Amino acid sequence: MSNMLLEAKELHTYYGASHILHGIDFNIRQGEGIALMGRNGMGKSTLIKSMLGIVRPKHGRVLVRGDDFTKAPTYRTAQRGIAYVPEGRGIFPNLSVRENLQMSARAGVDGQREWTFERVMATFPRLGERINNGGWQLSGGEQQMLTIGRALMTNPDLLILDEATEGLAPLIAMEIWRIVKEIRKTGIATVIVDKNHGAVTSICDRAMILVKGEVVFDGSSDEVRANPELIQKHLGV
Amino acid sequence: MKQQSLEIIHDEHRALAAMLNGLRAIAAGIESGRLQPDYALLADMIRYIDEVPEKLHHPKENDYLFRLLRPRCPEAVPVIEQLEAEHAQGDARIAELRAALASWQQAGAAGFAAFHEVLTTYLDQEWRHMNTEEHEVFPLARKHLTAEDWAEIDAAFLANDNPWQGAAGEYQALFTKIVNVAPAPVGLGG
Repeated sequence: MSNMLLEAKELHTYYGASHILHGIDFNIRQGEGIALMGRNGMGKSTLIKSMLGIVRPKHGRVLVRGDDFTKAPTYRTAQRGIAYVPEGRGIFPNLSVRENLQMSARAGVDGQREWTFERVMATFPRLGERINNGGWQLSGGEQQMLTIGRALMTNPDLLILDEATEGLAPLIAMEIWRIVKEIRKTGIATVIVDKNHGAVTSICDRAMILVKGEVVFDGSSDEVRANPELIQKHLGV
Repeated sequence: MKQQSLEIIHDEHRALAAMLNGLRAIAAGIESGRLQPDYALLADMIRYIDEVPEKLHHPKENDYLFRLLRPRCPEAVPVIEQLEAEHAQGDARIAELRAALASWQQAGAAGFAAFHEVLTTYLDQEWRHMNTEEHEVFPLARKHLTAEDWAEIDAAFLANDNPWQGAAGEYQALFTKIVNVAPAPVGLGG
């Protein structure tokens, strides 16, 4: 049986008349970690949204565990073990930390319930200190931790983090990357979209770089880290 | 060639940069009156940059990376000597920072300006130091060190299993404590 979790084939996505993705191929297998990188506006988030059904591609196919999900609604993709942590967080502000977590709880695709409320608390002890606080009372860093915690409560096989540390201070970002590294060690496949190439290539074994809606690099993170010219050319500011 | 040791150094620089950035932001918050001084937090942050970069990170650079690069690349020698001299001054500079913190704590608000000046000097020097390593020395290391050199450096770095966390996770625990206590938006504290 194939261990492919998510695939995109020849994806073309438009926003109105603007052609954003130009025939992108993408795939991720169980346990794999991919750092999806590129400067602002290069199509990283659009690629993620196109694969999850949040934005509809005009051409191309999306496969989830080998099944055609090109026109499937987003919730069906989530039910197949793919958890998405979007830019800008998106917790329920009127619910407590506990309620935010508990309402997300469900078994994974194979019935696994490895990520329990207690385990999420152990992974994010800070959330334990805020357990009865409302979502609106949390700082940006705590909200981000809660969003990741909620995603884990769905017992996913693939966790997609889209700009998870955007707007957070470096100390908090470092702490979140440390925790994500720990999560990676549990075997959950991960796609991380982030501008901090140093951090994400230290977490993920594979790296992809997008430029103007096309893949210009798909290889190992080691290759990226050992190639300052590549970083400067495509990721430097 | 993988050069895992350089990856470890980059990771360590990122953690140090985050701590330095946090110190600068907290000091700016105190200066503007937005934050109240938390001497214990500042002492923990200084302890972190003392125990982790000064005592663990810099010796590794001196003993392995710089030592092997010297004979391979004569043009790197002046900058290596400058960096080693800065490493050698590390203890004294941290002591000065600690003394400035203690003086401020004793003097009250009037002592902040002197501490802030010492801190700013320290932070500026550390940024310059890291930038010199990242932009001048590491590219030369990549270019001139041989596979055997990297094998020796990598072995030394990897033998000391994740020193950034400490043998029993104590440095990681200190980092997490600082993140949890530091006031938002620098950290997660109230």
